[in-house]
Amino acid sequence: MYIYLPIAEVSMHIGIIIGLGGGVGFLSGLFGVGGGFLMTPLLIFFGIPPAVAVSTEANQIVASSVSGVLAHMRRGNVDFKMGAILMAGGMIGSTLGVALFSFLRDIGQIDLVIQLSYVVFLGIIGALMLTESLRTIIRSRTPGAARGKLHQHNWLHGLPLKMRFRRSKLYISAILPLGIGAFVGILAAIMGVGGGFIMVPAMIYLLGMPTSVVVGTSLFQIIFVTANVTLLQSIQTQTVDFLLAGLLLFGAVVGAQFGSRAGALLRGEQLRGLLALLVLAVCVKIGYDLVIRPEDLLSVELVR
Amino acid sequence: MIGRLAAHRTAAPALAGLAMLLAEPAMAAPKQVVADLSNSRVEITSSYHGTELLLFGAYEGVPGDDIILVVQGPATDIIQRRKAKRAGIWVNVETKIWQQAPSFYHVFATDELSSIADERALGNATVGALSGGLSFVSGRDESSNGQGGGTSLASGAAIAGNPEQRNNLRRNMEANGLWQVLPSSIVTQQDMLFRASLSLPSNIPTGDYNVRVLHFRDGVALSERATDMKVRKAGLSALIYRFAHDYSALYGIFAIVFAVASGWLAAAAFRRK
Repeated sequence: MYIYLPIAEVSMHIGIIIGLGGGVGFLSGLFGVGGGFLMTPLLIFFGIPPAVAVSTEANQIVASSVSGVLAHMRRGNVDFKMGAILMAGGMIGSTLGVALFSFLRDIGQIDLVIQLSYVVFLGIIGALMLTESLRTIIRSRTPGAARGKLHQHNWLHGLPLKMRFRRSKLYISAILPLGIGAFVGILAAIMGVGGGFIMVPAMIYLLGMPTSVVVGTSLFQIIFVTANVTLLQSIQTQTVDFLLAGLLLFGAVVGAQFGSRAGALLRGEQLRGLLALLVLAVCVKIGYDLVIRPEDLLSVELVR
Repeated sequence: MIGRLAAHRTAAPALAGLAMLLAEPAMAAPKQVVADLSNSRVEITSSYHGTELLLFGAYEGVPGDDIILVVQGPATDIIQRRKAKRAGIWVNVETKIWQQAPSFYHVFATDELSSIADERALGNATVGALSGGLSFVSGRDESSNGQGGGTSLASGAAIAGNPEQRNNLRRNMEANGLWQVLPSSIVTQQDMLFRASLSLPSNIPTGDYNVRVLHFRDGVALSERATDMKVRKAGLSALIYRFAHDYSALYGIFAIVFAVASGWLAAAAFRRK
């Protein structure tokens, strides 16, 4: 059964939409990630216009982050103060990101920037995660290896406007989380992702937050950043497809349940290693598309 | 709309047509072609995935007569981009805007267009668009090299007049199914009745369509009939579209509230299990 998506203005088989939601939902449940970095390229691959894919995915991530953050809140794994600072940065960043998105779309370069962002950031994060998980796996097989320091102090910790973050046991400059929030906000708006895959390593390695509060705090601020993107894209470009988001969500909710159960069967470093391979696979696929000669060098787009 | 003799437009075919009429007085002036659509209002509902329409009609013909049917969508600007390799990757380097081109253009005929009439006669009846004419579109070049900070207007006439560029546009529009020429796609019966099946794609642009039927004899358009077709979003898809465009801020807030509520419900359902 096909369903006509009123904003994307294409019809898609309902099985594909729910299947995409379920498949990506399963992986996000398995790995504990939002899955935007998989869903947005897949939607574009299935013929959804890039602008609609990015905006609609932002809307869907609002839902998956809400359902994810509730479990972390119950366990007290959300640093609300840190989350609020990251969110303030994220609001600024995502507002800039949406404006940048419109500009790039007007000059016909949005596809290129989306693709390049994916290649660069998925490449970096994937490579880091892979080496980290391989190191952990090797270390676990060679007992007695020394453990590194939890986090290092560098010039970043000498910035002014210091604030105390009790839940994270940190006393650092507010400029740092504000800047990280803004940077990830820009990427979230352009790439159609929540940005957790950049936010989480940044919180651990740049801010030095304890790993227990990292995921919950990241999800907490992602809700607001993606809600901001949803609202701004709705107003400025009318590219949020409510019907598509709702159907994806339906599949994702079910998929995530199975994913998180499957995740319990695997060890942490194995999961991270597999996730790294998945991230790198997406990076390579998008990079390959940029390098090979397109079938037709000319393409058309109708002005509505 | 009133059908007209294409022969009126140029002197030579008019004389030819007159000569023909004088030679065969028994036929006199042929009656107008009449045509209708099985459905003149196409509704794009949530279950829309392309549709088939039947166009049928009657004409007063003799063996060897031809019918051409043109389905033309609302005029729109078409942005065409060209990619080139820069620093190892393929990027858009050139933008061309085709102004007021048909967003949809399907031509049906009883034969190959080239064997029905010559290009000039087809052009006079404005069905030459896809056979080489495309006279109604004009383009404009925009440099998108990111420098200069503006659009450089090239001579519109020069672009519209370049057959290679028109062929490129045609190839692109045929690839997405919006432009098409389907020769030998009209079935006729006893030189009186004709019918053709219009297959509308799922990516059909909305708007007011113009459907024209032309009756050709010996390379001359004898009679023409035009009828309207409307393509509209309807039902839930129209509702969502109008909501998104007319109350966009409210739509955004609604989308967020819906997402928060369903995320919360999903989490609650998880917990029970």
